[in-house]
Amino acid sequence: MKDGVVIEVEGLSRRFGHFLAVDKVSFDVKRGEIFGYLGANGAGKSTTIRMLCGLLKPSEGRAAVNGVDVAHDPEGVKRSIGYMSQKFSLYMDLTVTENLEFFGGAYGLSRRQLAVRTDEVLRAVDMIEQRDTRTGDLPGGMRQRVALASAMIHDPPILFLDEPTAGVDPEARRTFWQLIRTLAGQGTTIFVTTHYMDEAEYCHRIGLMVDGRLVALDAPEVLKRTHVPGRICRVEGSGASRALPVLGGLPGVLEAHPFGAGLHVRFDETRTGMAALQAALHDKGLDGFALTPIAPTLEDVFLAVVEAK
Amino acid sequence: MRYFIRTVQAVVRKELRQTFRDKRMAAILFIAPVLQLTLLGFAVDMDVDNVPTLVVDQDRSPASRDLLARMLADATFARTQEGDDPDGPMARGEVSVAVVVPRGYSEDVKKGRPAEIQVLIDGTDPVRAQSAMAGVLEFLTQESLHMATARAVAMAQASGRAVEVPMISVVPRVFYNPSLKSPIYMVPGVAAVVLLVVTTVVTAMSIAREKELGTIEQLLVTPMRPVALLLGKIIPFALLGLIAGGLVIAVGTHVFDVPVRGSVLALFLGMLLYLMSTLGTGVFISTVANNQQQAILGSFFFIMPAILLSGFMSPVENMPEWIQLISRLDPARYFVQILRAVLLKGAGVEDLAGPLLALLTFGVGILALGTLRFRKRVA
Ligand SMILES: Nc1ncnc2c1ncn2[C@@H]1O[C@H](COP(=O)(O)OP(=O)(O)OP(=O)(O)O)[C@@H](O)[C@H]1O
Ligand SMILES: [Mg+2]
Repeated sequence: MKDGVVIEVEGLSRRFGHFLAVDKVSFDVKRGEIFGYLGANGAGKSTTIRMLCGLLKPSEGRAAVNGVDVAHDPEGVKRSIGYMSQKFSLYMDLTVTENLEFFGGAYGLSRRQLAVRTDEVLRAVDMIEQRDTRTGDLPGGMRQRVALASAMIHDPPILFLDEPTAGVDPEARRTFWQLIRTLAGQGTTIFVTTHYMDEAEYCHRIGLMVDGRLVALDAPEVLKRTHVPGRICRVEGSGASRALPVLGGLPGVLEAHPFGAGLHVRFDETRTGMAALQAALHDKGLDGFALTPIAPTLEDVFLAVVEAK
Repeated sequence: MRYFIRTVQAVVRKELRQTFRDKRMAAILFIAPVLQLTLLGFAVDMDVDNVPTLVVDQDRSPASRDLLARMLADATFARTQEGDDPDGPMARGEVSVAVVVPRGYSEDVKKGRPAEIQVLIDGTDPVRAQSAMAGVLEFLTQESLHMATARAVAMAQASGRAVEVPMISVVPRVFYNPSLKSPIYMVPGVAAVVLLVVTTVVTAMSIAREKELGTIEQLLVTPMRPVALLLGKIIPFALLGLIAGGLVIAVGTHVFDVPVRGSVLALFLGMLLYLMSTLGTGVFISTVANNQQQAILGSFFFIMPAILLSGFMSPVENMPEWIQLISRLDPARYFVQILRAVLLKGAGVEDLAGPLLALLTFGVGILALGTLRFRKRVA
């Protein structure tokens, strides 16, 4: 095991019949890192996670989690990980504590350990007050927190979270990510999948999955710098569609595309600038546009990467 | 080992909690068996009595009135109508039997001429029709016998000679179910059927539900052994099944006067082994089914033939040879056999080695198969 590396993946593939769901994926995740796995529906995120959790045998390649090979000793892997599956999977008819008690029992915790851990995880996810509520009666965001609590009832060093915030309101999502960052700060390694680009910003590093392949892998800022070079500005005003061909043809403009009601224009700041763009519009009789500089998002990275394919 | 036991305990506790929290589940387990037994017990009561009968007395004589009154005195027939046209009420299903005493009946009897009585029977339900026919025939045969004897005696006395009327007297003695009440024969069968339905369906559904909801994935990612999971599923339902089974037997003895003549140990042993078979089948079905609906469907795919071949309605010995052969694979057949033997014939464990062994074989076999399939699917 390389220094501090807790998840090692090398050329990992998974085939379903003739269909290649995961295609020779390689990456490392370090202790305490939040590793985000980003991709559209069907990109192969869940398949990768299920292989890493010992739920699915890899077709090819190798993966070690906490130093244990997932193909040779899936049972050994299970002890050191917590897993929150994409499908909500607690018992709705049991209370929060009953769920935790059951999963704790499934990990072989003794009564004493269980009592201690139940308190700890409930406190960690801030659900002490709801401990005797039926899980089915909780709102979505709270359920996800209970699911997280139950995934860490046995205090695993590594957590695999498969779209933990799917279908949860933005406020609850923020709370959830706060939690994840706190956990990582305490040394837990977190492997999380999502298709919310804004969430991915919270990750230390992200891997971009497209059709089973890992097409980009780095810290969010680095990805932005390499895949979306230059600067971006938002163009707002009436008649934005007429402005698009004008700006798109200018020297130094790398890319221009409609975004919401306006446009996003990316340009090489060594060759042009916002004033030059404004002037070009004025020359064509297009006035009244507001240009504001914006920071690139992972959405831009994603589009750039997919376009480059 | 300690870990293994803890995981089994955790599953057992969870299953019990879920079962009792789900009102429907508790109802399926406890109320349904008792209700089914009671309903089925009364419904399959094949004793024919209170047959609705139409009386057409065209003779209107003291003799005809007397004859009809005595015929209806027995509970077998119940006079529901009087009239002169038997066809209408029978077609409408209002009566199943019509007795027509034609004009001149008393005259014929008095003169010693053969008298004729017409009996019409609705043959839609052959069992009922046969019983009714037998009842009428029995009564009227006795009646003519009496008349003939009385007449012979009267004639002999008139001529001053002694009279001897030869007769065969039959003294039947029926074993095990002396009053030939059908519930006593049916209750063991119904008990077997009820337990079969409840335990197989509940087990199959409880595992299929975890698949459907996706909770199974969360279980499989724990280091818990698949065998521990299955044990945790089976133990509570075996216990609940035993309780439900005891309840059914208790209802049988109290409501239907079913005796318990044999060894309670044999009864318990038989039930335990039988439950092993039905629960094992439930597990097996759940490895094939992906959701609860498929689990129910699969269960009935097994339950229907199992019931038909169990001999709970008609004796297995009356079935064609090849069906008898197939019925050897039916755990319900052995349990029905054990129940009847223990309850009615007073059998003990030593008398039932054969069927007990058969149940054991089936139970161990299907449980092993189910477990193996379950583990394979998991891997
Ligand atoms: N058991 C399976 N059998 C056959 N195909 C499968 C199986 N599991 C997944 N797939 C296919 O593999 C591909 C990748 O699926 P996966 O669930 O890994 O995607 P994902 O990135 O998690 O997508 P989502 O965002 O929808 O969860 C999909 O096309 C899916 O249909
Ligand atoms: Mg997925």
